[in-house]
Amino acid sequence: MIDKSLTLPGYFLADLPAGAELTPGLITEACQTLKRNRARFLEGRTTESLIQRLDGIGRDWLEADYPFRRHVLEAGPAATGFSAAVLAAGLDSFFRQLTAENLEGLLRQELGHAHRLDDFHPGEHEPGSTRVALARGPELLAHIAPGNIPNAVMLNLVLGLLARSAQFVKCASGQAFLPRLFAHSLYEADAKLGACIEVAEWPGGTASLEAALFAQADCVAATGSDETLASIRKALPGHARLAGYGTRVSFGFVAKEALDGRHPESIAARAALDVAAWNQLGCLSPHVIYVEEGGRIGAEGFAGLLAEQLEALEKTHPRGGLAAREAAGIASRRSFYEVRAAHSPETKMWASPESTAWTVVWDMDARFQVSCLNRFVYVKAVHGVDEALQGAEVVRDKTSTVGLAGSGARAAELARQFARWGARRICPLGEMQRPPLGWRHDGRPALGDLLTWSEWEK
Amino acid sequence: MSLIVSFDGFVAQLRAFMTRTQEQTVPEAELDAEFNRLAAALFALQRDAVPIYGEFCAKRKVPSVADWREIPALPAAEFKEYEVTSLPPAERTHVFHSSGTTQLRPSRHFHNAQSLALYEESLLPWFRRHFLPGWAAIGGGGDRTDRSDRTDRSDRMICNPQSAIRNPQLVILTPSPAEAPHSSLAHMFGTVRAEFGGAIFTGRVNGEGAWALDLEQTLAALRAAQSAGQPAALLGTASSFVSLLDHCQAARTAFRLAAGSRALETGGYKGRGRAMPKRELRQMMTRWLGIPESHILAEYGMSELSSQAYDRVIAEAGGGFRFPPWARARIISPETGREAEDGETGLVRVVDLANVRSALAVQTEDLAVRRGEGFELTGRAAGAAARGCSLMLEEL
Repeated sequence: MIDKSLTLPGYFLADLPAGAELTPGLITEACQTLKRNRARFLEGRTTESLIQRLDGIGRDWLEADYPFRRHVLEAGPAATGFSAAVLAAGLDSFFRQLTAENLEGLLRQELGHAHRLDDFHPGEHEPGSTRVALARGPELLAHIAPGNIPNAVMLNLVLGLLARSAQFVKCASGQAFLPRLFAHSLYEADAKLGACIEVAEWPGGTASLEAALFAQADCVAATGSDETLASIRKALPGHARLAGYGTRVSFGFVAKEALDGRHPESIAARAALDVAAWNQLGCLSPHVIYVEEGGRIGAEGFAGLLAEQLEALEKTHPRGGLAAREAAGIASRRSFYEVRAAHSPETKMWASPESTAWTVVWDMDARFQVSCLNRFVYVKAVHGVDEALQGAEVVRDKTSTVGLAGSGARAAELARQFARWGARRICPLGEMQRPPLGWRHDGRPALGDLLTWSEWEK
Repeated sequence: MSLIVSFDGFVAQLRAFMTRTQEQTVPEAELDAEFNRLAAALFALQRDAVPIYGEFCAKRKVPSVADWREIPALPAAEFKEYEVTSLPPAERTHVFHSSGTTQLRPSRHFHNAQSLALYEESLLPWFRRHFLPGWAAIGGGGDRTDRSDRTDRSDRMICNPQSAIRNPQLVILTPSPAEAPHSSLAHMFGTVRAEFGGAIFTGRVNGEGAWALDLEQTLAALRAAQSAGQPAALLGTASSFVSLLDHCQAARTAFRLAAGSRALETGGYKGRGRAMPKRELRQMMTRWLGIPESHILAEYGMSELSSQAYDRVIAEAGGGFRFPPWARARIISPETGREAEDGETGLVRVVDLANVRSALAVQTEDLAVRRGEGFELTGRAAGAAARGCSLMLEEL
C-alpha cells in the first residue's frame, strides 16, 4: 500500500508535471487509447462485476486509513480550500451512497431491470413479455467537470462505468484534485477499469483541446454555467450528444409547525449542515432559508439560532481560508447589510467575529437573493408558501432543491406545491447536499440520458 | 486653528490645507496632524447631517474619533441605496451617477455649488501634477463659475518653453459634460478643458445611454496633431481606448504622435466592449499611437469620491496609485477588517476630505496591494455589489 506521502503513478494527463503542455494531438491519442481499452477491458464486463467493484471502492473510501482518503484529508485543504472536516463529510456522504444495493436500485429505476446493460431483458414488471430491450452506453463519454465541488463528477464517472463507456474527464485548471484521486483509486482497485478513464485539466474554453476531445466523444456530460453550456453546445459536432447540467440554485423552507416543537435549534442545526456542506458551493446548497412566520419562533429568532449553529460548526467543520477576492465579496456584502440593518428594523445580520467564516442575514423582504456563498445565507420571513414561491419566482426555472422542514400531511402538501411550481428535488432540510445515488439530476434520469436502447420483439 | 462647527467653516480650512500642501513641503507630522484634525471635524459634521451615515455610526457606536482611521467607512454601494448627502433636496444643484448601463439603480452623489467647486479644486492640481506637469493653464477657467473664492492660481501660469511653442491637443474620448451631465468623469474632463483649453470631446452618448466613441472625429484629431507635430494628450476610459485601438489594429493605422504625447486611462471596462488586460492595452497604445509606456497614466476615481489617484507622474517611473494629500487610502484585509499587511491583498478604503457633503470615508469593492506609499489595483471583490433592490440574473 502507498504510504502517507502518497506518490501517484503517472497514469493520467493530470499527473503530468506542471507546465507540461497538452496538445490536440495528445488528446486525440488519449481518446483513441481509451476506446481501445474499453473494447478490450470494459465492454464485455458484467454489471454484477462492476457493481461489486464499485461497492468495494465505496467501502474503501470510508475507511479511515485508506491511503487515498488520508491523502485527500491531508493534502486536500491546500489543494481545494476545503477544510479536512468538510472534505471528510463530503466524502462520507458520497461514498456511503456507493453501495451494491443503491447501484442495483439505480439500474432498476432507470432501466426497468438491473441487467439490461448486459443482455436483452423484459422489464421487471412484465417478466413474460416477448418484448425485450438492451441498453448501450456511449463509446466515449467526455465530462466537462464543474470547478466548485467534486461529487457530481465522481457520480458521473460511476454512471459512465455502469454504461461501459470509456471516459475522459476534463477539469478546470487546478480543480482536478479529487476527480484525479478518485480515478487513481479506481485504477488501483482495478487497472482495467482505470485504463478506460482519462483525467486532464486545462482552462475552460481552450478551443483547440476541446475540439479534439469533442471530435472523439459521442456524448458530453457538462456541468457549468449556462454560458459555458451554450458555448459547448455550439462547439459540439453533430454526432455528439450533450447531457448538460446548467446553473441551479436551491433554498430551504421551514414550515411554522416545525418551529413549534421543543427543539427549534435542531431545525437550525440541519439548516446549518446544508450551508456548511461543501461550504455552500454546490447547486444543491441553499442561498436562502424561507421561514414561515406564526410558529413558536419566527424567522428572526430562527436566524439567530442558525447563526449559533454555524458558529458551532465552524469549530468542528471550519470553512477554511478563502482567496482575497472571495473574502472581499463577503466583506462587501456584510458592510452593505450592516448599513441596511442600522437603517431598517426589517434587516439584521449575524456574522463570525474577526473572520468571514459565516454570515446570516435576516430580512423581511421575501425576494430571493443570490448568496455570495462560502457560508453566507439569507433567512427570509414569509407568511405561507405562496409568498416564498412568489419571492423565488425569479429563479423558478433554475431551482434544483428545496430543503423542507415540516411534517405529516402538511409536508406532503408543501412538497406537492414545490414540485408543481418546478422544484426538481424536495428533501428534508439537512440533506440538501446529500442526494441519493439514484437521484434524477436536474430532474432528468442521469444514467438513462446517457444510453441508447435496442429493442427486440421476439 | 479655529474650531470647525459648520460645513462652510470646514471648506475654508480645507482650502487653506489644500493650498498649503501644494505650495510647500509640509513636514509629515504636521500633515498627519492637520489631516487628522480636519477628518475628525468633517466626520462629526457628517455624522449629524447625513442621516444614513448617522444611523450607521450610531449602530457602530462611534460618536467621535481621535484618529482618521477610526472613521466608519460607508460602502460605496450605499450610494445606490440611499441619499448619502447632507444637502436638502432644494440645495442639490448637481448629481453624479455611477457609470455602467447594467445597473438597475446607479450611485448618486449630490453636490451644491460649493461642493462642486471643491471637487474641481481637488481634481485640478493633482491631475496637472501627474499628467500635465509644467503645462500652462490656458483657458483660465473661462467658462466656469464660482471662482471668486478660489486661491490664487498665478503659480500655474508659468509655461515651459516647449508648451509656449506647442500647446497640447487634448483629445478626450468621453462625451462632454453637456452630453453626459451626470458623469463625474465627464465633469472632470470638462473642468480640465476649461483649465487647459483646446480640448475636444470625441465620445458620444448613444440611444441606450451608453458611451460610444466617434472614431472619425478621434482619428481626424490625431491626424491633425500628428501632421502639425503637436503633442496629443488622450484621455478616456479603458473601454474607449479599446474601441480606438481595435480600430487602429483592424485598419492597420499606426500613429506616430509627436514627442510629449501622452494618455490617461481611467475606469474599468464597466461591462462594455471587449475586455483587455491592462498590460495589453498599454502595449497597444505604444504600438498604435506611438505613446511610450512612461507616458501612459492610469487614474483611479469614482463618482462616490471627489479626489482621484494616479499611478505615476508622466515620464517618471510608475509607482502605485496615490491620492493627493487631502485624501488617503488604506488597504483593508477583507477577512479581519484590519489594515492589510504589506503585500497582502485587501479592499481599498478611502478617506477623502473633499467629500464634504456626503461621506468622507468610503469603502470600495476594489482589491489592491500596498506598494510603498501607493497601492496597486488587483481586481474586484467577487460577486460585485450586493444589490438591495433585486436579483441580477446575470449573476447566476
